[in-house]
Amino acid sequence: MNDVTVNLAKGASRRFQQITQFIAPISLLSLVSIATLLQPSFLSINNIQDILTQAAPLALVVLGQAFVILVRGLDLSVASLMASAAVLATAFNATSDAMIPVIFLVTIVASACVGLINGLLVTKRNVSPFLATLAMMIVLQGIRFYYTQGAPSGSLPEGFRVLGAGRLTGIPVNMLVFFLFFFILGWLLHKSSFGRRVYITGGNPKSANLVGIYADRVIIICYVISSLMAGISGLILVGFVGTVDNWVGRGYEIDSIVACVLGGIMLNGGKGTLWGAVTGALILILMFNIVIILGLPVQAQLIIKGIIIIFVAGLFSRSIQT
Amino acid sequence: MIRLDGISKIFPGVKSLDNVSFEARAGEVHALLGENGAGKSTLIKVISGAYIPDDGTIYFNGKKSKWTSPKGAKDAGIHIIYQELVLFHELSVAENIFIGEAPLTWFGTIDYKAMYERAEEILDRLGHHIDVQALVKSLGVADQQMVEIAKALVGETKLLVLDEPTAVISGREAEILFERIKLLRDEGVCIIYISHRLEEIFSIADRVTVLKDGQLIDTRGIEELDRDQLVGMMVGRQLKDVFPAKKIPSRQVTPVLAIRNLCAPPKVKDVSFNLYAGEILGIAGLVGAGRSELAHALFGSIPRSSGTVTLDSEIFNTPSPRESIDRGLGFLTEDRKGEGLMMLLDISANISAPVLSEFTTVTGLDRAREVQVAKDQIHRFRIAVPSPGSGVSTLSGGNQQKVLFGRWTKACRRVLILDEPTRGIDVGAKVEIYEIIRQLANDGLGILMISSELTEIVGICTRVLVMREGFITGEVEGSQIIEEVIMKYATTESDSVTTGIGDVLIK
Repeated sequence: MNDVTVNLAKGASRRFQQITQFIAPISLLSLVSIATLLQPSFLSINNIQDILTQAAPLALVVLGQAFVILVRGLDLSVASLMASAAVLATAFNATSDAMIPVIFLVTIVASACVGLINGLLVTKRNVSPFLATLAMMIVLQGIRFYYTQGAPSGSLPEGFRVLGAGRLTGIPVNMLVFFLFFFILGWLLHKSSFGRRVYITGGNPKSANLVGIYADRVIIICYVISSLMAGISGLILVGFVGTVDNWVGRGYEIDSIVACVLGGIMLNGGKGTLWGAVTGALILILMFNIVIILGLPVQAQLIIKGIIIIFVAGLFSRSIQT
Repeated sequence: MIRLDGISKIFPGVKSLDNVSFEARAGEVHALLGENGAGKSTLIKVISGAYIPDDGTIYFNGKKSKWTSPKGAKDAGIHIIYQELVLFHELSVAENIFIGEAPLTWFGTIDYKAMYERAEEILDRLGHHIDVQALVKSLGVADQQMVEIAKALVGETKLLVLDEPTAVISGREAEILFERIKLLRDEGVCIIYISHRLEEIFSIADRVTVLKDGQLIDTRGIEELDRDQLVGMMVGRQLKDVFPAKKIPSRQVTPVLAIRNLCAPPKVKDVSFNLYAGEILGIAGLVGAGRSELAHALFGSIPRSSGTVTLDSEIFNTPSPRESIDRGLGFLTEDRKGEGLMMLLDISANISAPVLSEFTTVTGLDRAREVQVAKDQIHRFRIAVPSPGSGVSTLSGGNQQKVLFGRWTKACRRVLILDEPTRGIDVGAKVEIYEIIRQLANDGLGILMISSELTEIVGICTRVLVMREGFITGEVEGSQIIEEVIMKYATTESDSVTTGIGDVLIK
């Protein structure tokens, strides 16, 4: 390779890196434009609210997944945990709204424990994140199936519906929940010193230890955050749908990872923003919406999702090379 | 053998080579010297065909030659061994030697029998014996390097270029390497040898060419030169101007750091010493003597099995890096990129990392103060960067090292451990780093400095400990700090270290 091509390649990779920052917002904007062209009512407040309501459960999971990916991890157990959290919530068979705080507390503590185990496996036992969380996914699934015997039958207090489908001064409650966590976690990641520790640990775990950061603790907390978000998302989704089944949140493990990568979070850790990850989630949801607007069969969503993953994988391998 | 005539190579904004003429003969080891950015790599790339010169002519074997690709140069008999070895770890030695050129049976399969035989022949020629069927990953770095050299002997190599081959191997291994190189030289191979280390230039090179800022300074026979002249040619200044004047601290009663019988298996064995405030205590020894491990054990980044460490008369025996930092220790590691800098973060974040809690307020991280501290350090150490918000990955080695000094001088109050603080940076930056280290000691820090470069150990340390195979085998002070004494402790059996030259072994 002569110097001209070397320089070209260098220039191209720099340009490529500059471009990757804008891929998510630009694709989001173009998707919105496409959707508006196809269906002028797309930009109506009602429709936007509908879409955000649909996006909220995934976006919540993405918030947690982003933390895990930033510390070079991966959480495949989120979807299975969502369903398990939902089943656990209905297991109380509660009818009184007074039980809601108890249900909440128990589910969230249980979710946090799942994250703790994931984190301990990855850090203290050196299990690869892929295998540890895959195993967790299967174990949770097994426990859930064993308990429900294949047909979940529990029920939730009526007040629970508010969480998933209710409105507070006209704004969907689940959207509010999402924004609440988006701000809390956004502050945590981008403004607090814990967030800095996340970036240092993800960027260079060895250096992290040598500057006195307990990298293991940081990683474990990230897995706990991911599981917490998955648990909360599961509760919201079950409140939205109104009934529980064994597959609440099915496919969200892949969707959340794809959303993160689409949003510019590097799979080898240490780079990316929460804002980017949420943009990634919106892109996915919009894609699915456009499929509906176009009147295509729902199955087309899967095909498009597959194509996006291939595209994202291509992006990923290029980002490694550069 | 090869003659370059008036070679120029221009990159946008830089004249990387400016009318350089250079000639190397068959049967000589020709050293190519210069600071980082002097044009050595560009010159090598011109020779290897990776770069096409903008001006000038190359004569190879008396013929005017023009290569348009590395393959052309390789076919002509030029073989380059880069610093980073390109071996396939899961393949055997023989397979690596014959990579892409394996002898075939008439079925078209690899003729392993012939390959092993020929691989052994080649290694015999080098006088180096390793199992040709062993996997490369099972070899040490020095043996892997021999495999690289063996690869050069598969075809007919007339010119062999070695780019900093001793950067990764120890002193003893380097001596073996030099013997092998001399063997090839005596067979009539022309060898161009690039290195930062002056000592070895004198033991291996026949002639030396020095480049500076893309220009040829001179080509001389090695016997015409001494080390000071050579450094003078490289940096344009005298060796005595490289190191700041030593300043021996006044004798104190209590050491800032006292270590007794420290063990950290498998590399650190029964180490005891004192470190006083204001002193620069060197730790010399061969690579693998356990020096870095000692530093890690002190700092708490590898576990200790026994022994006591006392800092300011306070014992702390179950340290972690966190606790060490909180007590006033700092540790600048040898692997700048792997264990030091966070390449994805900016300079201010790199500087504040060990003392993040100092910057933490109720509302989060105090970015403004963080940036201010970074600005102060950039100013203090004259780091050449546009702003505290710039990334560290694009900085030169010297500036990256200064960022790390900025980090640890912010965090560290009592003892600063430096592991190879000038590795891979050019002489100009080294001089600045030496001044910084001297200044820090004057300001009252106790400095523990590990280095494989004897020149700088001798040039800057006020006391030196020598390690060998995990033990401290000698301690030298004052006028005894000379290379010969240090090398003797670093290499001989401990039994014979009784000559009494300043050996105050702490028991």
